[in-house]
Amino acid sequence: MSDTDRPGSAERAERVEAAKPSVPAPAGEAAKPSVPAPAGEAAVPAKAADAAPVPPGGTEPAKAASEAARPGRVAGVRQGPPWRRPRAYLWVALSLLLLALPFYLDRFWLQAGLFAMAAAIGAIGINLLTGATGQLSMGHAFFLAIGAYGYCVLAGGNDVESGHELAGLGLPTWLAAVLAVLLAGLAGGVFSPIAGRLRGAYLGIATLALIFVGQHVLFNARDLTGGFNGRSVPPLSLFGFEFDDSELLVAAVPFQSMEKLWYAALVALLVCGLFARGVLRSRPGRAMNALRDHRIAAGVMGVPVARYRAAVFVLSSMYAGLAGVLLALIFQRTVPEYFGMILSLEYLAMIVIGGLGTVAGAVVGAIFVSLLPQVLTRWSDALPLVSAPGTGGVSPGEASRYLYGAAVVAVVLFLPGGLTRLVPSPREKK
Amino acid sequence: MSATTTTAIAPLVVEEVTVRFAGLTALDGVSFTVEPGSVHAVIGPNGAGKSTTFNVLSGVYRATEGSVRFGDDELTGLPPHRIAALGVARTFQNIALPPHVTVADSLLLGRHRLTRTGFVAAGLRLPSAAREERRHRERVAEIAEFVGLADDLDRPAGELPYGKQKLVELARALCMEPRILLLDEPVAGMTADERRQTAAVVAGVRDSLGISIVLVEHDMGVVMRLADAVTVLDFGRRIAGGTPAQVQGDPAVVQAYLGTEATP
Repeated sequence: MSDTDRPGSAERAERVEAAKPSVPAPAGEAAKPSVPAPAGEAAVPAKAADAAPVPPGGTEPAKAASEAARPGRVAGVRQGPPWRRPRAYLWVALSLLLLALPFYLDRFWLQAGLFAMAAAIGAIGINLLTGATGQLSMGHAFFLAIGAYGYCVLAGGNDVESGHELAGLGLPTWLAAVLAVLLAGLAGGVFSPIAGRLRGAYLGIATLALIFVGQHVLFNARDLTGGFNGRSVPPLSLFGFEFDDSELLVAAVPFQSMEKLWYAALVALLVCGLFARGVLRSRPGRAMNALRDHRIAAGVMGVPVARYRAAVFVLSSMYAGLAGVLLALIFQRTVPEYFGMILSLEYLAMIVIGGLGTVAGAVVGAIFVSLLPQVLTRWSDALPLVSAPGTGGVSPGEASRYLYGAAVVAVVLFLPGGLTRLVPSPREKK
Repeated sequence: MSATTTTAIAPLVVEEVTVRFAGLTALDGVSFTVEPGSVHAVIGPNGAGKSTTFNVLSGVYRATEGSVRFGDDELTGLPPHRIAALGVARTFQNIALPPHVTVADSLLLGRHRLTRTGFVAAGLRLPSAAREERRHRERVAEIAEFVGLADDLDRPAGELPYGKQKLVELARALCMEPRILLLDEPVAGMTADERRQTAAVVAGVRDSLGISIVLVEHDMGVVMRLADAVTVLDFGRRIAGGTPAQVQGDPAVVQAYLGTEATP
């Protein structure tokens, strides 16, 4: 029999004795495990590792000593009041900038910014599913389409568009927006028995089916979707305030739909981001990460694996639904070919580029993926070796696509944790 | 859920459990009983079926035949999270800790079944969620103190030495406030010092909480020191059982380990 490193029996006895006084809880506590012990009841005298036996009653000095030994913990993650933290200033400056932008940007850039915000909401959704829970989804575009078309059908009337009759419920637009998000969640719920049973890449393959079904329906259910031509989107109206193209003068700046939507989208993004952050940093988030990192251990720790996968799938679908509603409002027209597989891949690219599993990663990735092509297209004629379209050689559009591809490859190669890794969070610095 | 309110620690009865994987019989009619409040070691050479036993007990594998009962509850056929809800906690032979997550957060995962905060409460940051989180962080700190990890709560688990990571796993299992604790090679790969510390913690758990512990371990020193009863497996079959002293003298055990007849 192997008997390596067996300590002397006297020492052994002392070790075990030393462990004895450090009672984690009275025996009664173990008997009712569903009740967490109040702090006082289960006061722990000392570490089991301490060889020196701690006399009963000597708990306070021991605790104080160990508190003093780790000042970092007492100080916590946040250092000082908000006005002493440089990050707080950064956030204030950023919010002011975002609030002021509609007064300065033209329609092109406002639309690009709005597009990035809507994409950010969708990316947060897929990051909850793919980044935080490890469940690959190729069907995100399908849920975006449900949000976009759901809003059109619920809010639109029975009108005739380009010689084609369209069905619509004509609900109040704000109600239609809410219902469209719920509808996307419902669609996710219908798919969730599959989403709960499949893991990782297998779910990715299964969700591919959603794209094909979605495309087929969008092109062929002409009464609802308008078929190939798509459907015009009724402008949002909230408490009597119209987010349409009627001009509204604010500080001598004419506000049209893009300016007005800008603020609605900002609020939506803020709420969605904070909600997802709350989920990720709390009990559900820990369970989701456990499912991703150690699936078997997660189950053994008491996480109902299938139910959690299904729940995250539904939540992610609802985020996609809201992003779809916003995209529809921004484009003012929904067309079916937009909601294809390329869109799903773009969302996956966003979270990989930005950073998997975090809200910041999703937002940064969404901005990168949706704004970079626009920026490159806008200024690609200033690049060397670019000629005017139609004259042969590299056109500005092509050049921007090459650059965009190169940027994506560079980020994945050199920043494997995503763009958000460039700025270390205060938590990680410790 | 009614089972968790049962006050007494119940015996764990393993009866004629057989596990087959496509022609390979990993466990063959294994039976043993873990008495309430005792430390029961399962030993055997590599490939004897120790880890398979654990996987059956915790619901990761399903037994082809036989039954596992914990008190009045039948565990066979239950999914892992339902078994966990009955108060069965386990650790893993290969560390199953996320390396970048702090020790405190890893331990909080152990509180999953004791907490209620769902997606909506967490997303909206309801006061109930914050209250629950605070209360359970306090309890986690107490358990960390008990295991000897109080100073490492805010460090990512991946930064800790191997021995400490295994202690984190043990602490995470304790955070489930289990009625029975399954430890899969808790001291494997540890230094002599870490080994002593872990053994002391395990002994402390048994003595102070009165819960049953099932231990798979290669280190005979630890087994002999801690175990009240030992079950020896070889090629998926139970070849011996009894007190550590009885097992140590059993010729079948010696043969299983050394491959030949015992020669004095």
